[in-house]
Parts: sequence; structure tokens; C-alpha cells
Amino acid sequence: MSKLLAKEMRLSASKLSYIFIVFTLMAFIPQYPILVGAFFVCFGIFHSFQTARESNDIVYSSLLPIAKRDVVRGKFAFTLVIQGIAFAVSIVFVAIRMLVAGDAGPYGFNAMMNANLAYLGYMLIIFGLFNLVFIAGFFKTAYKFGGAFVIYIVITTIVVSLAEVLHHIPGLEALNSNAYGPLQLIALIAGIVLFAVMTFAGLKLSEKRFERVDL
Amino acid sequence: MTAVLEVNGLCKAYPSFKLDNVGFSIEAGHIMGFIGRNGAGKTTTLKCLLDLAHPSAGDVRFFGLDARTNQTQIKQRIGYVVSTAGYHQRKRIQLISEVTKTFYPTWDEDAYRHYLDVFGLDEGKSPRELSEGMKVKYSIALALSHRAELLILDEPTSGLDPISRDELLMIFEQLAEKGVAILFSTHITSDLDKCAHDVTYIKEGKIIYTGTREGLGMPIEDYMLEHERREIHV
Repeated sequence: MSKLLAKEMRLSASKLSYIFIVFTLMAFIPQYPILVGAFFVCFGIFHSFQTARESNDIVYSSLLPIAKRDVVRGKFAFTLVIQGIAFAVSIVFVAIRMLVAGDAGPYGFNAMMNANLAYLGYMLIIFGLFNLVFIAGFFKTAYKFGGAFVIYIVITTIVVSLAEVLHHIPGLEALNSNAYGPLQLIALIAGIVLFAVMTFAGLKLSEKRFERVDL
Repeated sequence: MTAVLEVNGLCKAYPSFKLDNVGFSIEAGHIMGFIGRNGAGKTTTLKCLLDLAHPSAGDVRFFGLDARTNQTQIKQRIGYVVSTAGYHQRKRIQLISEVTKTFYPTWDEDAYRHYLDVFGLDEGKSPRELSEGMKVKYSIALALSHRAELLILDEPTSGLDPISRDELLMIFEQLAEKGVAILFSTHITSDLDKCAHDVTYIKEGKIIYTGTREGLGMPIEDYMLEHERREIHV
């Protein structure tokens, strides 16, 4: 797997996949739907799929002495590395927001989402959706990805909107607090579980679909 | 002699085309020309051999190993070369080679350097900066550097000037002398007259002839024309 990951990172990836991790800095923007930062991270990964298609990377990879499913696993490994880095730096940003910034300045009366544990959970849902909807959609043909990406955008927009609405519902205000609350922890755990389930399902579905593809 | 590649009863159906019971075999040190006019099924056959397309029926064996269950092991021992549709056209050859070689335990760096030198390849260039002939030579260099025992080439001589074609055919002959088996598809029959030991002729997805070149009993082009020529009125 390390060879495949190195291949993905050195040969197949678009530089934008790395650069777009910067969008996690959106966590510091007040009065803004900061979850779109997670979408932009995935948009960066999308560019690597585009590059892979244009450079015939799928055929190149399929001709290497590896199993066909390993072509899929290489793409997932790369995606998880980018999402992992984005999540790790987001943990740091959330720690700064919660422990240092707190309710200072505009963060104290932020009508939109604050960067807290619930935000991290929502991020993981957006990452998991990418792995299930987009990647598994791509591996239907290993060529066409427009439709899968549009569906992913629509679902992500709904998730971002719901996440922004949720903390305005009476009783759920703690979801958007700058201080820790158990509701946030529940949202984070739900995000971790959903991410794991969607990523695993996306991987298995992609492997199954790619096995049937004629290149 | 043991067959390096044996194909029996290979079938693959598309809505408007089908491979029908394709079969042939190639031995070590032999050059086989896989001929047929455009659209006859040459590329589809090669793709089925390499698991890039899924045959609906048939038996494919490389080095006596079943292709369906031993793909990883088989791909260590073969090299696939395409002429025009290359990979990572904008990356430097050095990077492509560095990444590719990590997948081959049998990679021979000295051999790689040797073939770069012999073929006059500059590692600082990207494939898009190479001529068609040089691209084919680069693919061959990669394949030989992991000690491929069988080269499968899809139209390697198409788009090449006569001198480059001649050079490539010379390379084939020298590799065959070293025991490498070569299966190459082409519709340029004069290439085969120069170097092929065996010929497999496919027409509309069916094998018309497979055997020695001499077994055709006439020049390859005449044989093809006899089977393909039809009246056209415009």
C-alpha cells in the first residue's frame, strides 16, 4: 500500500489537492458557513481524479503488477491522507477557537457555525459523503465523474444547510457553543461513525464497480 | 517448447462487435504479428489478455498460469506497450520510471540505464516531448528493465517513420534472440515480412489463420487481400 500511496502522491495527484487543505482556515471566519471549507478540501481531491483521468492514470495503474482492487485502494489511501491532514489541522484550529478565542469579538454573537467539536463531526460527514458518493460514482466507469460530483455538491449543500439550521432549534443551541458541551461530543461521535461507514461502503462499492469496468 | 502465452476460445461481446472463439499461442523467443484491418478486434483481444476488458468466455494462460487468478504475478513478467495513448504525458520520464520501478522486485537498474543509453532517451523529458518512436522505445525500456519475458505491443509501428520502424523491428529481432517473446498487433504487413516468425490473422472478431508465417503460403498482404478485398462503388 505504501508503494501505491507514494505513486498517488508523486505521480497522480494534482497539486491543488494539497493546496486546498488551506481552506480549513475558514474555521476562523465569523458569520460564515465554515463547513464549506470541508467541501473545498474534497474539491481539491476531485482535481486529482480529474488529473488521473486526463493522464490515463487508471490504465497505467491497472497495468502495474497489482490487483485491480488495489487501483481503487490507492485512490482511497490518497483521499484519506488529504482528509486526514485537513482533519488534523482542523483539530488545531478548533482548539484555538475554543480554548483561546472563545467568545471573543464576533465569535461571541456568531449566527453561523462556530468551530467546535460538532463542526469536526460535520466535517467528517462531508468527507465520508465524498468517499461514498463521488469516489464510488467515479468508479462506475473510471472515466465519467461529472454526475457524481454534482450529486455530491447537492447533498453537501443540504448537509451544510441542515448543520447551520440545527443549532437554531430550541434546545440544540449548545451545538454551536464555543465552550465544550456533551451535545457537541455526540455530533462528533456521530460524524466519526458516519465517516467510517460511508468510507468503508464507498471502498467496497468502488472495488465492486471497478472490477466490472472495461478500460 | 512451452508456450509463453496460450489463448483458447476467447469471446467478448459488445453491442456492435464480438470476439468469437479467439485462440492462438506464442512461444519464447518468437515474434508473432497479430494482424487484421482496423476494427477487426486486435486491441480488444489484447485488452482481454491483460484484464483491461473482461472476456465473457475463454481460457488465457501466461507461462502456464491462469490469467484470471494470477494477474499480479503475470504482470511482473510481461510488458505492455501502446503507441499513441501514453500515460502521464506531462511528467518527466525520470519520475515515471522512479515510481514504476517500485512495483517490480525484479527491476534491473543497470539494464534500465543501458536501454536509456541504447535508445538515446533523455530522462529529463516528458513523454509528450518524445516522438512516437521514442515513446515506444521508452515503454520497451521500462518493460525490459523489469525483465519482461513477453512484450505485448499494440500497433507499435503505427505513426512511425520508415527508419524508426526499421529500428524497432531490429530491436524486436535482437530481443527475440535473447528469448523474449513478442506479440505485436499491426495492420502494416510489410513489418511482419521483415521479422515475424508467426502470424495470427483476425477478421471481424474471428481468427482466420494462426501459425508460422511460411504456413500462409503467400506474402501476408496477398493473404489478407484475398480475404478482405471487396468491390466498392462510389
